[in-house]
Amino acid sequence: MRLAEVERGDTLGHRILIRMISRFAGYRLPDAARVAFYDRRFVGPVLGEWTQKTMRGPGSWSVSERELMAAMVASWNTCPFCIGAHRAIAVRGIEPAVADAVLADYRTAPISDRLRAALVFLERMTREPDQLSADDARAALDAGLTTEELEDAAAVAALFNIIARNANALDFEIPSASDFESAAGMLLRRGYA
Amino acid sequence: MATESSHSVLADRLRRRVVETGVISAELREGAMHAGGAEHDDLGAPYDVLARTIGTASYRVTDAQVGAVREAAESDQAAFEIVMSASVGAGLKRWDAAARAIREAADAAR
Repeated sequence: MRLAEVERGDTLGHRILIRMISRFAGYRLPDAARVAFYDRRFVGPVLGEWTQKTMRGPGSWSVSERELMAAMVASWNTCPFCIGAHRAIAVRGIEPAVADAVLADYRTAPISDRLRAALVFLERMTREPDQLSADDARAALDAGLTTEELEDAAAVAALFNIIARNANALDFEIPSASDFESAAGMLLRRGYA
Repeated sequence: MATESSHSVLADRLRRRVVETGVISAELREGAMHAGGAEHDDLGAPYDVLARTIGTASYRVTDAQVGAVREAAESDQAAFEIVMSASVGAGLKRWDAAARAIREAADAAR
C-alpha cells in the first residue's frame, strides 16, 4: 500500500474497526476494504452503491458469473490482487477448473455461449474502448444476450476498470490463497456497499 | 432512444462526485479524471504522468510517481483523490463507450 493513511484508516473509528476486523477474522483486512473505509466524503459511497447493485443486485447473471467477469477485467488490467480476490468468490459457484480455464483463455473454456459473448464485448471495452461500436454490441445481442444483460455485464467491466486501476496504483498487498478464500466469504456475506 | 438505465444514473453520480467533493482542488480532480480517461487536458507535473499511467497501464505505476504526487499534494487524502479520480476517468470512459454502443445497436434493431 503506497499511502500509509489509507492503510491505517483516516478516523479513530476506522482505525479501531480495521484492527478489530483483522483480529476477529484472523487475517489482515485486505487493502480493498481499507480503501472502502477511507475518505467517505469522496467517491466511496457512490462507488460502493454501484458495485453492490451490479455485483449483488437483481439480474440474470449469477453472482459467480459476475465475479468471473470481474476477474477477467482484472486480468486484462494485469491486477493480481483483483484476479485473486474475484476468482476466489467465483469458485464458490462454479468449478475452480472452469474459472481457471476462463482466465487462461475464455474463448476455449467450457462456458455458455452467452457468457463467452459477453466476455468478447468486455475485452474490447477494456482494451480498445475507442474502437468499441454498435457492431460489437450487435454481436453480443445476436448471441442471445438481452440489452439489459449486456448493460449489466458492461457495468461490471466499468467498475473493475476503476477498482483494478486503484489497486495497482496503490500497490495493494497480495493476500495468501487461504486469506483470499476467507475474504471471499466475507464479501459474499456482507457485499460491497 | 433507449431509456437511461440505472447504471447510467449511478455512473453520472460518480462523475459528479469527483467534480463536486474532495480536499484537493476541483480542477486537479477533474483533470485527473480526464487524464485517466485519455482526454487531452494538460494536468501538469507530477499529476499528469501518474494519472495517464493509471489510465493506460496501471500495473506500471511506480512508488516514485505516487510519492511525487503525495509530496506535491501535501496529504495522503489529496494524493488518494488523484489516484481515484484517474481510475474513475478510465472506468467511465469505458462505460460511456459501452452504453453508446449498446444504445445504437438497440435503436438500430427497432
